[in-house]
Amino acid sequence: MKLWFKSGSPWVWMTAGAVSISLLSVIGLLMLIASRGLSYFWPSSIHQFEITTQSGATKTIIGEIYEKEQVPTQQLIESGVLFEQAQGETVERYLIKTGNREYVDLDFQWLLTPYIKQQSTPSGLAVFERSKNGNFYGYVESVVQDGNVITENKQQVLLAAIERAVELNGKALDLQNNEIGAINYELERLRLKQRKHELDGDLTDQIKLDLSEKRQALQTEYLVYEKQLFEFRQLAKRDSVIVKDMRGEQVTLPVNYILDVTFPNDMSFLAKLGQYGHQIGKFIMDDPREANTEGGVFPAIFGTVFMVMLMAVIVTPFGVIAAVYLHEYAGNGAITKIIRISVINLAGVPSIVYGVFGLGFFVYMLGGSLDQLFYPEALPGPTFGTPGVMWSALTLAILTLPVVIVSTEEGLSRIPGALRQGSLALGATKAETLWRIVIPMASPAIMTGLILAVARAAGEVAPLMLVGVVKMAPTLPLDGNFPFVHLDRKFMHLGFHIYDVGFQSPNVEAARPLVYATSFLLVSVIVALNITAIGIRNHLREKYKALDH
Amino acid sequence: MISVAPDMSNKTSSVIDLNNLQDQQIALRIKNLNLFYSEKQALENITMNIPKGQVTAFIGPSGCGKSTLLRCINRMNDLVDTCKIDGQILLHNQNIYDKSVDVASLRRKVGMVFQRPNPFPKSIYENVVYGLRLQGVNDRRVLDEVVENALKNAALWNEVKDRLHDSALGLSGGQQQRLVIARAIAIEPEVLLLDEPTSALDPISTLTIEELITELKDKYTVVIVTHNMQQAARVSDQTAFMYMGQLIEHADTNTLFTTPSKKKTEDYITGRYG
Repeated sequence: MKLWFKSGSPWVWMTAGAVSISLLSVIGLLMLIASRGLSYFWPSSIHQFEITTQSGATKTIIGEIYEKEQVPTQQLIESGVLFEQAQGETVERYLIKTGNREYVDLDFQWLLTPYIKQQSTPSGLAVFERSKNGNFYGYVESVVQDGNVITENKQQVLLAAIERAVELNGKALDLQNNEIGAINYELERLRLKQRKHELDGDLTDQIKLDLSEKRQALQTEYLVYEKQLFEFRQLAKRDSVIVKDMRGEQVTLPVNYILDVTFPNDMSFLAKLGQYGHQIGKFIMDDPREANTEGGVFPAIFGTVFMVMLMAVIVTPFGVIAAVYLHEYAGNGAITKIIRISVINLAGVPSIVYGVFGLGFFVYMLGGSLDQLFYPEALPGPTFGTPGVMWSALTLAILTLPVVIVSTEEGLSRIPGALRQGSLALGATKAETLWRIVIPMASPAIMTGLILAVARAAGEVAPLMLVGVVKMAPTLPLDGNFPFVHLDRKFMHLGFHIYDVGFQSPNVEAARPLVYATSFLLVSVIVALNITAIGIRNHLREKYKALDH
Repeated sequence: MISVAPDMSNKTSSVIDLNNLQDQQIALRIKNLNLFYSEKQALENITMNIPKGQVTAFIGPSGCGKSTLLRCINRMNDLVDTCKIDGQILLHNQNIYDKSVDVASLRRKVGMVFQRPNPFPKSIYENVVYGLRLQGVNDRRVLDEVVENALKNAALWNEVKDRLHDSALGLSGGQQQRLVIARAIAIEPEVLLLDEPTSALDPISTLTIEELITELKDKYTVVIVTHNMQQAARVSDQTAFMYMGQLIEHADTNTLFTTPSKKKTEDYITGRYG
């Protein structure tokens, strides 16, 4: 035993054990969020249950099984929801997503298995994904097209009708976002221009006339688009579909609110796989709907990546310059030491504190001053004096600055002195040596700092809630209106989206899988950003491989 | 007994009387140079003239200050914070420690090659043109010509002419050292300082470099520090023997190795210490 200790193998076991535990927990975490999040998009079978209600009547319930759990029998009997039929210690119950939100109190309900008389997955059950009121489950009875009721080939007719409506709605939305959005933006700019002239006191009648002419032109243009928009909407309203729901009643659904219809019970595995990919694609590419509980998360992905990149652009030069000064120019005295310790300790400040600082300093002080200096015409409405993507990026930049400084300094100290001397001996000044030899060679270390900074920044939510993130941003910080990049705009963020959907949403059950899916997406985005950065770093390492002796 | 048998056959020795040099024959004058690291004195009152177009070797036991003296000539000691220098080194009758002297332009005139090859992690071509790019020369034709000439002068051209744009780190140690010499002579210095240039190399590379040094003296004044007496005897025209921070003896190589005038020199070259 003593020998075994001496041999060092317990040490190996212990260290290896520590690594395995860390690895297992990371993999476990990823698997959990991946399985919970990704299974949400699978087109699961729609079940039809015949149940006996407590009064003894029979009732039909149609929906997806969302969750299964075991409940102690005793507890159910005590609360009065279960009578003697039950046997055993526990009773299984299902959480059913029944949809049809406008016709039921809750679109989720619990079913106790003892009450279920019959359970089946009948063919022909349709799931409608709608832009309002969530999913609808039922049997397609007929399609009404231009007032004609069609019962032949109704699935094909329905699919064609939905495709047509979706296309028309898409056109209408494009028109609204692009052409009409641009006109509104232009009108706002004209208003600000007039206000500016007013403030400057040089608002002549000529200018007024000019502006109102332009405005007139935009108004005419707008009217054309508006007419087009209403036309599209009118066209989209043409069809409707009659569906028999679980109450046995026939319900008319307007096709223009339907985004998609599927018949999961009739689908082959491959068809389901196709639908699965399609759903994931929509989740990534679409805008959110229904208070973020449905639809996609594209604006949040875009906001996260855009903000992180903006932060990287700000933090890298700042951090590198500060590190160069600290390492190359500042003496090695007590003050330098104090500064270095302070910088390292900055990394330990809670992030919400940075949020408060960002709000107070960047948003109110800097933003407020910017508004007074450059955007007086918009006042009292703030331009930069309000949370926005630029202030978020700046706040996170100071949050991650220590990381970049520390790893850059590390990199600088690893450059062999012989190379610096070689450069100096050729008549280079210190600055030239830094620029041409030292900093390029330290670039892999700078990238390491940046990787750590990006990983930290992309996951940070608390400070962003104060300096720029919102639940729902109507426009992206990047669009087709001059000057194309709008750093003053608020943005959406995956991290905040998780918090908002999971904990601020009215429909908890509907939101839960979205929380996992969004978490998985956030992790994927961070991993993707990191892999890109690591790729660049490895390339740089290869290029500036230091001498091996 | 003299243990060293210097091979003098490759010398085009125009023996110079070191004590009666004409002004135009002198590349560098060192006058009363004292150097301190913190409180410790590393060089004591060095006075010597380094003749133009010749190879001067500094020899002496480890820690005698020969490298320190060499690094004074292009002010590399400026990088050491604790280093204090007084005295003068004159290049063209200008004291290089004068406040008005620009260190970078001094180092363009006085090139240096270090103990270990230190090519930059760039291509062979970019290594050679580094000094020129610093001076703002970016004309492709000029650079190409300089690269070819410098590499030819450094006896490296034939080995690398087909892979000029490959990384310099792929070269062997001896090739790297010749590349570093090419890099130094690409900016046409007047004086070339070599700080034990072969101590990290194998014997064959050493031989190549030694041949190269003999050729270089036609164009440049070469000062070489070496701990290897045979090497000093083989490549140099003048030799200075240093001991404990003092210059003991400075004479033409032949004289110094065959009939040293100082006891310490004799002890050293016969291997009694060092």
